[in-house]
Amino acid sequence: MGVRVGPPEKRGEGWFTGLYAAEYANVVRYGLRRLADADASAELAQEVFVVAWRRRDEVPDRSLPWLYGVARRLLANHWRSRRGVPDVLPITGADLARVASSSGADTTVGVADVRAALAVLGELDQEILRLIGWEELTVSEAAHVIGCTRATAAVRLHRARRRLAAAMSERPAQSRHRPVLAATREEL
Amino acid sequence: MSGAERTRTLLGPVDPARTAVVAPPLVSARELINRAGTTETVAGRRRVHPNRRLVLAAGTLAVAAGAVAALQPFGRRPPDVPGGTGSIAGTVLVPVSYQFDTDPPEAGPHLRALAGKIKDADHEHLGGRYTYHHTKVWGDPVMTSADGRHQVAFAGETKVWQAADGTGSQINTQVEPQYPDQESRDYWQRELASRPALGAAVTPAPVPLPPMELTPPSADPSRLRELLKVELGPGAASKEVSTLYQRFVVPRAVRAAILRVLADVPGFRWRGQVTDRAGRDGVAVTFDDREHDAQSLLIFDPTTGELLAHERLTLSPVRISAYQLILEAARTDRMG
Repeated sequence: MGVRVGPPEKRGEGWFTGLYAAEYANVVRYGLRRLADADASAELAQEVFVVAWRRRDEVPDRSLPWLYGVARRLLANHWRSRRGVPDVLPITGADLARVASSSGADTTVGVADVRAALAVLGELDQEILRLIGWEELTVSEAAHVIGCTRATAAVRLHRARRRLAAAMSERPAQSRHRPVLAATREEL
Repeated sequence: MSGAERTRTLLGPVDPARTAVVAPPLVSARELINRAGTTETVAGRRRVHPNRRLVLAAGTLAVAAGAVAALQPFGRRPPDVPGGTGSIAGTVLVPVSYQFDTDPPEAGPHLRALAGKIKDADHEHLGGRYTYHHTKVWGDPVMTSADGRHQVAFAGETKVWQAADGTGSQINTQVEPQYPDQESRDYWQRELASRPALGAAVTPAPVPLPPMELTPPSADPSRLRELLKVELGPGAASKEVSTLYQRFVVPRAVRAAILRVLADVPGFRWRGQVTDRAGRDGVAVTFDDREHDAQSLLIFDPTTGELLAHERLTLSPVRISAYQLILEAARTDRMG
C-alpha cells in the first residue's frame, strides 16, 4: 500500500505524481467507507492530496496512514459543517453471506449483524475498528491516523472490539434477517 | 490470532469498499498542485472538471517524467526502445482479430456446445494449500495528453498465492508502457525522449494477504446467475466472470455452468477463433454496449473452457480501453 519516496528535498512534482498515482484509490476507498457517494469520496481524495502537496516535507515514507489522517480531519470538518445531517453508510457487497468461519466466536454472526452493531458504536470505536479492519493498518499506524500513542490505540481497539461484541450479542434476532441500509452517524 | 487480525477477519467481509472499483482520478496531479498554490483553505467541497482520466498537461515534462518514474520503478526497458536512455517506449495495443468480424452469430448455441465438450484443466490434477494466479492488466488508469488524443498506461503483473482462508501473498510488478495507438506512442516518445534515466531496479516486495472469506463458486445455475450479476446485462456479467476467474481456480463443472449461464444472457455474440495477447488460442464472445460506446470481450480456452482474457474496447474508433489476462491459474503448496 505504501510508496517509496525520496528525501524531502527531492519532493517535487514527480514525487507527488507518483504518490498520487499510488495512493489515490486507497484514499478514495477510505472516503467510500465513510461517505455515501463516489463523487464525494473522489473530491475528498483530491483535497487530501492538495494538503499532501502543501505539506510535502512532512509526508513520511510510509505515506498512507498520514494521508488517512488528513482525510479524517477533512471529514471531521465536513461533518461539523453539516451538524445534524445524517450520513448514509454505503452498503455494498451484499453477496457476502457470512463472515469467515475459521477463527473463533467472532465469526458466528451474519454480515447484517456486524454492520448493525458497528453502526451503533461511537465514532472513535468505529474509526479504530475501520482503520484496522478495513484500511488494514497496524495498531501503530491507526494511532498515527487518530492522533494518539500506540498504547492508547491498542486500548481503544480492545475496548471497541469488546463493545462491538456486546452490540452484536444484544442485537435482536430480526437484525439477522434484515440488512442495514442506512445508519445515522454520531457527530464527532 | 491478535486483536487486529481478529478485527480484520470479522470486519473484512462487511467492508463496503472491498470490491469497489475506483475510477481514475478526475484531475491530474498538476492541477492539484496548481490548486494548492491558489487556495488557502482545503476543507470545502469543490466541483472539478468532469474528465474521468488522469490528464497530464502538455509541456509539463517534469510531471510526466515523474509519473513514468513512479509507475515504472523496476527499470525494465522494453526491447523495442528506439531512443536513448530514459525514453518511453513500449508496445502499441491492437484489437484482437475475430474469426467472425462482421455479422457474428448469437453466442448462446456455441457457448452451450463448448460447455458440453470441455476437458479437465491441468490444475484439476494438482493438490496444494494455495491457489496461484498470475495475471496481467492494463488500462486503469490511463494517462492522457492535454488535448485528449494520446494515451499511455503501464501494464501490471500480479502473482497471488492464497489459502482457503484468504491468507497468502501477493506480488505486484509494474511492467512496460503500452499505447492504444501508434500516434500515442509517437507522442509520448517524442515528449519524453530527453528525460533522465528511470530509477534503478527494485525487487517488488511480497504483500501479505489478511484473512478473508472465500466461498468457492457453485455450479448451481441460479447461484451462478446471482454471482455473475447477469440481471445487469452482458457487460456486468463479463466483468464478474473475469473477477471470478482471477479469484478462484475454477473446477470443470463450474466452468461448464458458467458457459451455460452466459449462453442464456441475451446480447453476447460469437466471435469464433482468436489469439489472445499472450499468444494463446481461444474462442471469443463479445457484447456491444452501444449506449456507452463500449465492447466487452471474453476469451475462453477452447479445450478447458477456462477464461483466458477479458477486454474492454471503445467501438468508435475500435480501440483498447483495458485488458486482463489470466496467464496462469494453479494450485501449489509453496508461495513464491
